[in-house]
Amino acid sequence: MAKSVRASVSKRNRANLRKNVFGPVADARTERLAAKLQELASQPRPSQEKPTGEQSSEKAGEDANGANPVMNEDEMELDAKASKNRVQKAGRVQKRNRKPRNSMVSGRMAILSGHWAVLLANLLVPVGILVFSTGFFPYKPLLPGLAILEDIDQDVPPVFDKVIFMVVDALRSDFVYSHESGFQFTQSLIRDGTAIPFTARASSPTVTMPRLKAITTGSVPSFLDVILNIAESDTSSTLAYQDTWLAQLKARGDRLVMYGDDTWLKLFPGMFDRADGTTSFFVSDFIEVDQNVTRHVAFELSQPDWSAFIMHYLGLDHIGHKAGPKSPFMPAKHREMDDVVNEVYSALQQEPHLNSTLFILCGDHGMNEAGNHGGSSAGETSPALLFISPKLEQLGTQLQSPIGQNGDFEYYRTVEQVDITPTLAGLLGLPISRNSLGIFIPEFLNMWDSDGQKLKILHRNARQLLTTVEATFPGSFSSENPTGLDCEVPASDIARAQCLWSRVHELFRETNKEMAFRTISPALHEVLGIAQNVMSSTASNYDVSRLGLGLLITTAAALLVLPTVSHQCARSYHAGLFLALMVIGYGAMMFASSYVEEEQQFWYWICSGWIFYLHIKSGAYKSSSHHGTGLFHRTNAATLGLLMAQRILRRWNQTGQKFAAEPDIAHTLFSRKPAVMWALVALTYMDSGYHFLQGLPAAVLPRLGAFVLPALALVFKMNFVANDSPELLADSILSRLMEAWPKDLSLVWQARLVFACLTCCSLVAIFNRGNSKITGGKSEFAFELADVHIDLAC
Amino acid sequence: MTSSLSPAQAPVEKPSPPPVAILPAQVAQIYSFVHPALLLSLYAFRFKALVAEPVQELLADLPWLALLQLLYVIVCLPPAGSAPAADSSVPDSKASARSSSGPGAVLRSSKPGLRKRHSGGKNDWSRVWAKLMPTFLSFALTSFLATPVLAILLVLFGAPLTTHNVETVLCAAHMALLSATPLIYVHGVDGAVWREVWGIARPADAVWGSALGTGLGAWFGAIPIPLDWDRPWQAFPITILTGAYIGYALGSVISRTPFIYGKRIQFVPEEDDDEKKTN
Repeated sequence: MAKSVRASVSKRNRANLRKNVFGPVADARTERLAAKLQELASQPRPSQEKPTGEQSSEKAGEDANGANPVMNEDEMELDAKASKNRVQKAGRVQKRNRKPRNSMVSGRMAILSGHWAVLLANLLVPVGILVFSTGFFPYKPLLPGLAILEDIDQDVPPVFDKVIFMVVDALRSDFVYSHESGFQFTQSLIRDGTAIPFTARASSPTVTMPRLKAITTGSVPSFLDVILNIAESDTSSTLAYQDTWLAQLKARGDRLVMYGDDTWLKLFPGMFDRADGTTSFFVSDFIEVDQNVTRHVAFELSQPDWSAFIMHYLGLDHIGHKAGPKSPFMPAKHREMDDVVNEVYSALQQEPHLNSTLFILCGDHGMNEAGNHGGSSAGETSPALLFISPKLEQLGTQLQSPIGQNGDFEYYRTVEQVDITPTLAGLLGLPISRNSLGIFIPEFLNMWDSDGQKLKILHRNARQLLTTVEATFPGSFSSENPTGLDCEVPASDIARAQCLWSRVHELFRETNKEMAFRTISPALHEVLGIAQNVMSSTASNYDVSRLGLGLLITTAAALLVLPTVSHQCARSYHAGLFLALMVIGYGAMMFASSYVEEEQQFWYWICSGWIFYLHIKSGAYKSSSHHGTGLFHRTNAATLGLLMAQRILRRWNQTGQKFAAEPDIAHTLFSRKPAVMWALVALTYMDSGYHFLQGLPAAVLPRLGAFVLPALALVFKMNFVANDSPELLADSILSRLMEAWPKDLSLVWQARLVFACLTCCSLVAIFNRGNSKITGGKSEFAFELADVHIDLAC
Repeated sequence: MTSSLSPAQAPVEKPSPPPVAILPAQVAQIYSFVHPALLLSLYAFRFKALVAEPVQELLADLPWLALLQLLYVIVCLPPAGSAPAADSSVPDSKASARSSSGPGAVLRSSKPGLRKRHSGGKNDWSRVWAKLMPTFLSFALTSFLATPVLAILLVLFGAPLTTHNVETVLCAAHMALLSATPLIYVHGVDGAVWREVWGIARPADAVWGSALGTGLGAWFGAIPIPLDWDRPWQAFPITILTGAYIGYALGSVISRTPFIYGKRIQFVPEEDDDEKKTN
């Protein structure tokens, strides 16, 4: 305390110094400048009177202050001149530019320059981010137009003429292949060899729209598509003008039908002859969203007119998001999906118009242990992929199923998700989409009998893939490669692919038909593998100079505000230091990839530290021995309460990745002790009612409304829960109470009743508030009203 | 206790006990540096066992740590208590002001170096008693007061409440032995000191520095827990305790350097006195 007394004394001293010693000097100098400038200004136009002179003098003063470092020399000169004039002009000038105003002007200028720096920095930050983004989201040249079959490919007959494409959102590999799976029928198909299982590696970002782009175009979508996935109304992400296997079918004059996730409808406007989109907005809907797809299946299976039938089920993803992969809803959903597979497969066997139909069951992405997706963890990037058809039995791949759980979710052979496109194109006899980076899955080569046909499939795939490489790296495949190069030690991947490609052509010329497949196909596969790697890595080819420039601009912005910020931080002493440390720590945290997913841990950590700091800070003032209360002082109790509340909030919901499955209050405690939850719910409603009561007039009837409304709302909520998720009412008293409740009043009517009552009460309250004419109280009441609405909505 | 001071003078700024210096004896000076290093190396030596069986290891280490800490305080630190020797000390303005403030205060810190010098002439029994009494007191208070308080603080700062209770208590016991035992031994139950301790306002010395280092180290020890490295040592009490031990050693050494020694962390906003946090 003595120190602070000392400090305040010295502060006062300094202020005095500023006012009495430095102030007059600075003011005098400004005056001199102003006088000089004014004199100069008044000389050429002596006719103009005082007002203009005054203005210009003020301006001059400002300018001189603002541009001090630049005008240093001029100032000195002016000073010298002014000193001569000072004696004559002093009297006049002092009348005009009095001290207080002058010091005010200089003070404002000091702040203003800081303000300009902050403003400039705020402009620079978005510029920096933009420049950085242009370097971070690489531009990929897309080949326009549809691919067409070349003459040399004509003699490869298609294996299938129709495709049923069933996407189950977030169908992770183990959901189908493991012992815990509910896909009993599908597993029996794997054992029979009529279903060929894969794990299809999906690249990040593992959200639906980029994945669908990968599946249909065969290209690797960029991170920009994540943003477009969220901005679903945006139509610029449409694939209408890109080469997809759907577009190829459409171009052939075939008909397509689609049921399920309306992302397809947005991606392919006008593509489908019959369609019924479902939205994934209502995440808590596990049932309707899938029934809306399944109800069309029987009809479409009986229709012979389409050649592609697409289903996209969302329910499994919804369960994942709401309750995680180990949810009790999951096995039932597995069985439901398995039943659809069964229905489709029986149709493939029985319906004559489906006898040459390929049935693909796949997930667009997986999910992590918390049931979320978007990242690149093993669970998220490992969806299942099955090719199903009675015709596939001829391949003779009878695999064991189910197989044991493994940690990386890699069941059977792992292929790339983009491989679906060329495989489908090959099997359906379509040209491979121009931007595809996929490789024909070699297991299906045996669907053709002749080696020549197999080679043609691979050769066509290689040609298409190398065209995309050529488009990205112009000139890499145009020139004829000198033969005789050693393919094992070339400079780059592209050069190696080049070399192998020329060797393939050599082999084509040299070898006879019988030996061709065995010698050429390994080389072709190698070319394909290299080309795919090269092209996949271009998706993450960053423009480093732009990244650097962006960083430079943002650094400049940070440096610009540094003086202002450090000044502000220094003024608040430890709090400022704490803030600075927090910002630095937060920045450093971003380098730890796990902390990006566990960001909340940082805030919990820093928050408890901050509360402790506040406690000590208050203690430094309060816990003097005179109070004799020490630890039990009110402030200390408050900080303790804050710390406890923070601790409870911390465990309210387990978030993030690592501890997501651990017990918390909202999931573990409430499901075990629903009475606690309901007590808290009731308390919340009572609190809302109490706040409402404050706004209502003092008459009996409206006051009654404040009691009736929360009671009604609570009853509605309990009824809703009893209908929707009865497991939350496990408490015997509550559930019995709910059973006694008359069921004939539908939920919708109850909701209407509650909202009507709410509207009435709100109107009365607003009217009442208007009458009482308490200004300033309105906004507060609006908050309460919003509060009540939010409570009820929850 | 502080009634002798008028509130008008400076209500909070009553003369608080000065920083505690390590006893001047050569053994004490040497061992005071050896001790943190010894604790750290022992901790490092038992680290594998700690990761494998945290509860058993922590429990088994507890008596040894207690012994080492008691040895350290007896050898290196001046005990609390109004030893008669303290009153016979050379007139020192602060020390005499405090000792005159009350015979009611049984346990009082005093100018250690001086008392040591002058107590040389007293009989051995009183010297032993002067050391034994604070030793017992510090041991008892560490076990029955500091450990529960630290355990509660650990929980408030994020330690699990429904599980790992044994680990939390053992971790708190280790931290209490590191931080509270020397503090109690040196300062006894002087309310003014403990208010300063609670308010992080003690002048820096080996005892306070190591206690603050223990707390800060434990706080920083929480950082590696959420990382996805999936190492067994990322389990709850281990990183916290590692941070506490490292913080203890660093704190006890750093706070004795001449630049830091005797300075306080100021939480009152002051522009003159630019003291930085010692840790």
